[in-house]
Amino acid sequence: MNDATHAAGAPAPPCLSCHAITKRFQGQRVLDQVGFTLAHGQMLGLIGPGGAGKSLLLKILCGLVRPDAGQVRLEGQDLTRASETQWQQQRQSIGMVFQNYALFDFMNVADNIALPLRMLGVAEGEVQERVDDILAKVSLRGVQEKMPNELSGGMKKRVSFARAVVRRPPILLYDDPTAGLDPVTSAKIWELLRDMQRQGTTAITVSHDLGGIRHLCDQWLLLDRGRIVFSGDSEALFASHDPFVLDFWSREHSHAT
Amino acid sequence: MRPRPAPPHPLWLRPVAAAGERGLQVWSATAGVGRLSWQILRRLLPPRMDARELLRNLYTVGVKSFPIILVTALFVGAIMVIQAGLYVQQYGAEGLLGWGAGFATLREVSPLLIALMFNGRVGAKNTAELGTMKVTEQIDALRALAIDPIDYLVMPRFIAMVFMMSLLVVVGDATALIGGAFTSQLLLGVDMRIFFQSLIDYVALEDFTLGVYKAATFGVAIGITSCHFGLAVSGGAVGVGKAVNNAVVAGAISIFLLNYLVTYLIP
Repeated sequence: MNDATHAAGAPAPPCLSCHAITKRFQGQRVLDQVGFTLAHGQMLGLIGPGGAGKSLLLKILCGLVRPDAGQVRLEGQDLTRASETQWQQQRQSIGMVFQNYALFDFMNVADNIALPLRMLGVAEGEVQERVDDILAKVSLRGVQEKMPNELSGGMKKRVSFARAVVRRPPILLYDDPTAGLDPVTSAKIWELLRDMQRQGTTAITVSHDLGGIRHLCDQWLLLDRGRIVFSGDSEALFASHDPFVLDFWSREHSHAT
Repeated sequence: MRPRPAPPHPLWLRPVAAAGERGLQVWSATAGVGRLSWQILRRLLPPRMDARELLRNLYTVGVKSFPIILVTALFVGAIMVIQAGLYVQQYGAEGLLGWGAGFATLREVSPLLIALMFNGRVGAKNTAELGTMKVTEQIDALRALAIDPIDYLVMPRFIAMVFMMSLLVVVGDATALIGGAFTSQLLLGVDMRIFFQSLIDYVALEDFTLGVYKAATFGVAIGITSCHFGLAVSGGAVGVGKAVNNAVVAGAISIFLLNYLVTYLIP
């Protein structure tokens, strides 16, 4: 078993946890006995080389993909055998930022962000107010009428972020939020994540930008070929002498610089 | 460790393996269409869909299809009159021209050709749109936002296609008959009034309503097949292309099968 241990002294029960998650594609294990426990308000940094299963794990935690074995618990509730309808109710508490934005290309920016609010039955006046408010927070005033194909990569990422947080979900999943972005835009994205942390959201972020998330994460999970290589808090990570951890950290850092 | 790939089949077995694989694909598609049909049926009573999306799809599916359907119908009516005109002139039966052209147009040709045009235009576009959404994770994004893709994407498209297919055939029938009347006047020298009188005298309301029933069933088939193949896409842009091809073929086969069934079952 390869689970991460609960952060020492953490008083709150787990917000999000998974246990022995295993997933196979075409006979090959892409996730093997992966597990962690995350308390309320903590951020987990999910790192590892490409193809380690990081994005897949995020999708399993959101119920978009079913694991072949293992458990997923949200606020203590076991969702492993939950139906799609039950998952749909639980996803009211989860916001997800996709690596490739996944903006709805037949809607403009305002409608992309407003959609989850409209589906909740929020009054149109309040919808407009919250959309304008969140666009101001992500420094995208005035782009409401633009279509996704008219936006730059950084703008798309910020719209994707705005859409994920506009419902104010307590749990946020970020799949490589700064992938393909320049350093200035990346810094803006990290600042947004920092703001969400200050508001007490529980989050998991997949990233190759170790410099960006270094001071954000409370817990770390390093995956390699679907297996946990390291799990623990920041102190343990930076003090680790594991050759893979050291090698991964130094490679990612030199790549970033 | 990656599993070893299976050894290739012996030469004599390969056609059998290919047929078997194709059979499995057809079975998988049939099962998928059946599953989606059930999901749609469950959401009809009471209706569960987004009103905005319904209005948007009614416009893109119906209103934007009018020009091509009108052109199609105009030529359908004209061609039916030209074909019937050969016998009308041979036997001097000008009084039956409206009936001869109108009967076949309303019962068969108009709904069938309009459905095939609709399948190629709207069905293909729908599959491409949903397929692209699938490969770019937009479907996953909807689910992550706690929005059911069937409620939000499929139901409005399905309802819009069934309704608009029926409406387009009604309008198409009228256009085809007008096209036929002009053709009878201009090419065959048969007065339009004789043409329309023949229609009124000999073509029954049931001939028209049969065509509309067929149109509605064709709309159901096109809606379900195009949505299924779009949502089942995998393999990126190549997968989207294959799905569009499969959807158009499956839609066309469904149209012919349903045409046969409805014609057989409704006298």
